[in-house]
Amino acid sequence: MKVISQEQLNLWLADLLKQTVVVAPIEKHGKIQYQEINSISQIVWDFTRPELPPRNWVIPMTEPILFIEQGPTTVLKQPDLPHEKILFGLRPCDSRSFKVLDALFWDKEPADPQYARHRQALTLIGLACPEMWDSCFCTVVGGAPDDTEGLDILLTRIDDGFAVQAITEKGQALVSGLDLLQWSGVPADPSEARGLPKLHESAEWAAVFKDVFWKELSHACLSCRVCSFVCPTCRCYDVRDEVIAICPNGKVYERLRAWDTCTSMGYRRIAGGHNPRETQVKRLKNRFYCKFMYYPEDFGVLGCVGCGRCIDACPAGIDILEVVEKVDLKLAQAQI
Amino acid sequence: MLDTNSILTTPGLATIKGMKDLADNIKLVQVRFDDPDARKNFSYAPGQFAEVSVFGVGESPFGLASSSERGDIVEFAVNRVGTLTEALFRLDVGDQIGLRGPLGNGFPMDRFKGKNIVILGGGIGGAPLRPIIQTILDHRGDYGKLTILWAARSPDLLVFTDEYDLWQQAPDVEMFLTVDKAPAGWPHEEGLITTLLEKINPSTDNTITITCGPPIMIKFAMMTLEKLGFQPDQNWVTLEAKMKCGIGKCGRCNMGGVYICTEGPVFCFSEVRQFLESFV
Repeated sequence: MKVISQEQLNLWLADLLKQTVVVAPIEKHGKIQYQEINSISQIVWDFTRPELPPRNWVIPMTEPILFIEQGPTTVLKQPDLPHEKILFGLRPCDSRSFKVLDALFWDKEPADPQYARHRQALTLIGLACPEMWDSCFCTVVGGAPDDTEGLDILLTRIDDGFAVQAITEKGQALVSGLDLLQWSGVPADPSEARGLPKLHESAEWAAVFKDVFWKELSHACLSCRVCSFVCPTCRCYDVRDEVIAICPNGKVYERLRAWDTCTSMGYRRIAGGHNPRETQVKRLKNRFYCKFMYYPEDFGVLGCVGCGRCIDACPAGIDILEVVEKVDLKLAQAQI
Repeated sequence: MLDTNSILTTPGLATIKGMKDLADNIKLVQVRFDDPDARKNFSYAPGQFAEVSVFGVGESPFGLASSSERGDIVEFAVNRVGTLTEALFRLDVGDQIGLRGPLGNGFPMDRFKGKNIVILGGGIGGAPLRPIIQTILDHRGDYGKLTILWAARSPDLLVFTDEYDLWQQAPDVEMFLTVDKAPAGWPHEEGLITTLLEKINPSTDNTITITCGPPIMIKFAMMTLEKLGFQPDQNWVTLEAKMKCGIGKCGRCNMGGVYICTEGPVFCFSEVRQFLESFV
């Protein structure tokens, strides 16, 4: 196995930072966040996972997707190409989330042009988790703390440096100039054998759609929607136009795309006021079913990467892992 | 290679050529693409829809109310109910809008050939049904008997009134009108479309039905059709949702795992019944 010392890694990163934009985990107000860095000394090396997922770099919270110059005639302009970026220090759950988003935004025709523009500009370098933390459950949804899915390069901490795995050609090219050392050890297995529940196949979920436990669960939900905003794979969005300039001959608008969520009350409302998802339970259920049934059936990949952020963030204690467990229990009961 | 200029994802500019009053607070907007290539390439089936941009206000989906075969004027009906439709009402001939599409699946007109067709239109739900009627009239020999049941809450909300004569003059076409509450002297039916449907009691033999209207109307129309002996796979519906993208990305229109924008908006009722989040 190839390894690199911390010192050499720092030098390499400092060099990359001179050439391109680097996003890495940093500490801000006592919390860890993925952010653009200006110095490698900002990088935090020991952390669980950043507060917010990295989807901001493919679907920013708010961004223009079209510029509209409306004068005597109308001119539409696409946004500039985003700068090439390296996302460094991604946890494997977060890098997997890019594959989840790719399946919908890029692989499913027609591709979303703005998503693709961002995605093409990214190089993903992961940092394997040394262990699974309390709310983590990546192994339930097909991942692992040292999973390489979605990554160009995976780094794994060993005694006095990092094991380096180049996953893609892009990753190979990036590490090709590095003076890597040979290491005969094997990194410790970070997967934890704690009693995590079994996730059922997407098709099996239909059988518990009408179960009363959803209603009971929804009584706790505050509709705060924070579960969606901290989720690396939630991707519902809103689009609106805003004026950015008023000129003698007309106006310039930007068409903005902004994070939104299916858990908000009016998300599904149609013209005339009919709302097919008017109750809390319907909205809550849609989010879980999207993750575990609809997304895999429609896009071929699970809509959850097991990061556990929604478990930590929910002020009402709604726990996605308990939901998975409950479904397992209900299906087992149904078999008796 | 990624096509960032696809008219499915970036609006094409179109100029308003006509604004016709269809009914109270409902207008028919007639537009034509500015780009001659877009005019040629924008070919669509009855039941497909487009995302309409009013620049500076936003984008909303509208069922296309015209037949692609009849020329390059693209039409859609607008009911003044919200911000974007209000803005559309303020526009006039010569103004530019944006159009993304055609989106959705459309009606499988080929599968309807040789069959008798019963059309149930409620209010502005008649708009996406008009291209079906136009297609049947333009290829009259390809289809069997056409029965049109057209409903609205009141007579001033009936759409395409100036075309009824033309429709009924075509061979083997029958049309019935009903309003929820009829004013004095109203020569047609009074009551819900389901009442009219029961009264007419169309034969189920070699017949398909097509319904478009508010969800509550679809629900009861399907119940009535079942009562009259129609099987779920004989009944077709077109559904609506306020999709932001129209291309299966924004997560605004799914019914269970089914995306109305890409897998619909046209569905056979036997499919709709299977949706996890079905409203029927």
